[in-house]
Amino acid sequence: MKSSRNSVDFLLFLALVGLSAWAVPGAGHLLIRQPKRAVIIFIAVAGLFVTGLYIGSLGVLEPIQTAWYIFVGQMLTTPAVGMLTQMAQKGGYVVYGRPADIGLIYTIIAGLLNLLSISNAVYMAYTGRGRLIGEDE
Amino acid sequence: MAELLASFTTPIDIGTNPQSMLWMFPLLAAIAIVYKATKMRVLFWGRFAKETIVLFATLSGFMAVAVVVLNLITWLATS
Repeated sequence: MKSSRNSVDFLLFLALVGLSAWAVPGAGHLLIRQPKRAVIIFIAVAGLFVTGLYIGSLGVLEPIQTAWYIFVGQMLTTPAVGMLTQMAQKGGYVVYGRPADIGLIYTIIAGLLNLLSISNAVYMAYTGRGRLIGEDE
Repeated sequence: MAELLASFTTPIDIGTNPQSMLWMFPLLAAIAIVYKATKMRVLFWGRFAKETIVLFATLSGFMAVAVVVLNLITWLATS
């Protein structure tokens, strides 16, 4: 009984790590006491996403006319992207050409890098700190 | 502050010229930083910076080679 309760607690902890890593980039690493990694990931992912918005404006958050997988990629950065998208829809921002391409690429790559850090945080929480997937020498 | 927020409502001007390719370098830097942050077993700042710079240089070099090869193929196909 105690063992099954512990495993449920452990699964809930893993879910909490994953969800917090999605909610705020780097927060998953902060929960497993990896503050350096948390700071680095937060600055890199948030910086990349904000740079993408600066280049292409809020107009790059356009889930209706772009393909669904582009919006999914952007949403991987943080759920707050949904809120920003609502704002962008109301504002009617438009962007074309090279700024649109570069802005989209930046925001999608920010989301995919956050997916990497989410999986890394959950795996580190699962195995214990210091053991990584495909770690370097 | 208002100016800063307003800058997110209009896209910046980027032409279709070779200089626009320079926008790939911040992207490569972010990829190198996050990749190394997730892959290093123990994170020391000095070693992290060194390995990130090496990875960034490797990615940049590969992209430069890709640019040269693709331009060469285009030149051969159109000349």
